Amino acid sequence: MNPITGEFFGFLALNWQSLAMLIIGGILIWLGIAKKVEPVLLVPIGFGCLLANMPLGGAAETGGFLAILREAGIRTEIFPLLIFIAVGAMIDFEPFLQRPYTIFLGAAAQFGIFGTFFLAYLLGDGWLHILDFSLKDAASIGIIGSADGPTSIYVATTLQSKYAAAIVVAAYSYMALVPIIQPPIIKAMCSKEERALKMPSVAGTISRRTKILFPIVTALVVGLICPKATPLIGCLMFGNLLRECGVVERLSLAAQNELANIVTILLGLTVGGMMSGAEFLRPETILVFILGIIAFSLDTVAGVLLGKVMYVLSGKRINPMIGACGISAFPMSSRVVQKLGLEANPQNHLLMHAVGANTAGQIASVVAGGVMLMLVPMFT
Amino acid sequence: MLNALWIVLLGMATVFAVLGILLLVMTILNTLIKPKDKEEKEDK
Repeated sequence: MNPITGEFFGFLALNWQSLAMLIIGGILIWLGIAKKVEPVLLVPIGFGCLLANMPLGGAAETGGFLAILREAGIRTEIFPLLIFIAVGAMIDFEPFLQRPYTIFLGAAAQFGIFGTFFLAYLLGDGWLHILDFSLKDAASIGIIGSADGPTSIYVATTLQSKYAAAIVVAAYSYMALVPIIQPPIIKAMCSKEERALKMPSVAGTISRRTKILFPIVTALVVGLICPKATPLIGCLMFGNLLRECGVVERLSLAAQNELANIVTILLGLTVGGMMSGAEFLRPETILVFILGIIAFSLDTVAGVLLGKVMYVLSGKRINPMIGACGISAFPMSSRVVQKLGLEANPQNHLLMHAVGANTAGQIASVVAGGVMLMLVPMFT
Repeated sequence: MLNALWIVLLGMATVFAVLGILLLVMTILNTLIKPKDKEEKEDK
């Protein structure tokens, strides 16, 4: 038996691509553990990346356990949908329901998706032909701007993008970078006076009946107008109904804990398993990551711009910074705005206003994902 | 390229429209169910 071509001494079969990916996997694990950057995601993703790139390991090859997970959980879109049930069960939409106007901030902040899609398509098949970006690839890259991992996975796999692995990794890792990406943009767009603006507190609470009706009505309205968004919005709102209805506490807790944890482990390992050297190490991958930053930045710019419009129209009662929370990176974006508000005025607590816009952004990003799935096949 | 531009314009318009309709429906429902909530409180 020849040990080099045989089934053992894997290190002899190590090529530069595997080595590079092993290093990348190691960096992701290091970021998660040492720097505490999204550890819940980056540790499983990093480890999945290690396993997928082990020479002769076969974990990500046909029949390997990572390939089976990919087939069962990602190709079928089950993992992102199950995660959405968990996310829905964790989110309290009360701050949004108290400030329903924030839904438009959520809508505006989805411009990052469409703007980046346009840019990616221009660089690809649309005009310059520099890179191999089809209309579907461009739409999948744009969806990084949803700042929402499950939506990114769902759209990229439904559209069968070649860059699904890079898109998913970019979507998850950039959420951790929101505190770095957003502040300079917000500071450049809002004066100190605007950032220091205190917003009036919202009187009253939302009735239980409204909280129960909200997920049902949202699933119906969004599903009826934008049917492609039904699986995503349906799972998100089902999770929220479990939380709010008050009669299935066990199911709600299971969705928030066991379901969320189990699917996060499986999803993380599977996403890591998608990062095989041959698939990941391409010039396009670097550009996908650059376009991801552009998507997050455009989201922020568009959200703050509408925030500024609301600031003027409301007679300076709405702090324009909360527009930046229309991005659905929940709750990182809210924390960023709260911190910037306190920096400008130590008495300025914007957290609940920011959370309102942030949860609105969660719904808006799902709608935008569904809209993308609806429009792209129409123009392909 | 024109296709992509259409997707951008239609996409943003649809997102605003869907969310606007959702807001409208929720506002109407809120108005309709508010009196009953008051009754519930009074009962308590």
